[in-house]
Amino acid sequence: MSDKGNYVIKVQDLRKEYNGLQVLKGVDFEIDRGEVVTILGPSGCGKSTLLRCMNMLEKPDGGNVFFEGTDLTALKPAQIIQYRRKIGMVFQHFNVFPHLTALENITIAPVENGMLTKEIAEQKALALLERIGLADKKDEYPTRLSGGQKQRLAIVRSLIMEPDVMLFDEPTSALDPEMVMEVLDVMRELAASGMTIVVVTHEMGFAREVSDRVLFMYDGNILEEGTPEEVFDHTRTERARDFFRKVINA
Amino acid sequence: MIKNMIAIFSRYGSVFMLGLWHTVWLSVVSVLLAAILGIFIALAKMSKFRVLSSIASCYIEVIRGTPMLLQLYFFWLALPKVFPDISDIVCILIALVVNASAYVAEIIRAGIQAVDPGQREAAVSLGMTEQKIMRRIIFPQAIKNILPALGNEVIVMIKQTSLASTFFIGELMTAYKKVQSTTFLALEPLSIVGLIYLFLTVTLSRLTRRLELRLRANER
Repeated sequence: MSDKGNYVIKVQDLRKEYNGLQVLKGVDFEIDRGEVVTILGPSGCGKSTLLRCMNMLEKPDGGNVFFEGTDLTALKPAQIIQYRRKIGMVFQHFNVFPHLTALENITIAPVENGMLTKEIAEQKALALLERIGLADKKDEYPTRLSGGQKQRLAIVRSLIMEPDVMLFDEPTSALDPEMVMEVLDVMRELAASGMTIVVVTHEMGFAREVSDRVLFMYDGNILEEGTPEEVFDHTRTERARDFFRKVINA
Repeated sequence: MIKNMIAIFSRYGSVFMLGLWHTVWLSVVSVLLAAILGIFIALAKMSKFRVLSSIASCYIEVIRGTPMLLQLYFFWLALPKVFPDISDIVCILIALVVNASAYVAEIIRAGIQAVDPGQREAAVSLGMTEQKIMRRIIFPQAIKNILPALGNEVIVMIKQTSLASTFFIGELMTAYKKVQSTTFLALEPLSIVGLIYLFLTVTLSRLTRRLELRLRANER
């Protein structure tokens, strides 16, 4: 099955369970090129699992994940590797490589994947470090970086691959409050540059300001979907209203 | 007794030193060879191919579940049947390597599994191949857990090689037996050998500790 629409990722009837517990109960949605989509919902609702299924970090138990016309669920593990290079991912706990310098953190994947020569990768990495204001830290190991700096590093580590879409899994949840802004700023800039973005987050302000579309997930299903105004100001379900009340008053 | 010990040591010092040399090289060489063998056993045990991982598990169970002395006898008796020209010391070395490899394999496996799973996930999401992820991301981090534990394994081996004296291959306990049979004194040479063992193990555990601290200095 292959259809090339305007979407970057399309998810159809996606199902996933852990030890008999259904985490995703048949989720459908698609992300168009250049769109910024925010996924909200209480913890355990399946939003991180949904994100992790999009680059097949988790193998779905049912349904399909299309990336630009290719059904990733139909591919062998070795074939999926090619597609993952086009899908950037940023993690809650940064997962920067502690044994590599900031520069090496960015260059290792494109160089080891044989996509760029070492020289070109280093030039690009330097430009990316410049863009996030960490050029002077290029030879530092991640221990010497703050949480915000690590997360910004993790973002450009994905960007050097020139992905078609960036997935963010609670990128600011593990940060000290004073460092949230610097990471959101990089994401804002990324959104403005036309990057297709999917973010799982609890940052309501960011969701309202930057997203084109907001999804509210509850118990393995998408309960609400629409523009930020539709979802935040004209909330249809009691569950979502309840969630927003708790999060905004927190 | 102390006087006797000094007299014996000054008379037979070279015997003890030769014993020390044999003990040290046997331990170090067997752990190094075991480390190479252990990597493959550890990778086999972590393999998703059932057959491979069962064979590795079996190997580890058998080696860890039987006495070292039995293994030494086994290889000392069995290997010459296949290779008639093999020397005692090579039989013993092979037995030591096989024994250590099971323990080292578990050390390596634990070291690899102690690396944050997020590291693998990040590398996977960047489209790196399984082999590159192991070589460039997981292993360089795991080695920091593995090296100090290997140091400890050398210390264990230093003590284990004493069992090889049953086959009179010249390590420290053999040195004790030699001196004992010429002087007819037992406690004195035994104490000397004990002090040499203690000196070796204490020095090595200090070095291991320093290595551990240096490896961690760079991170976290």
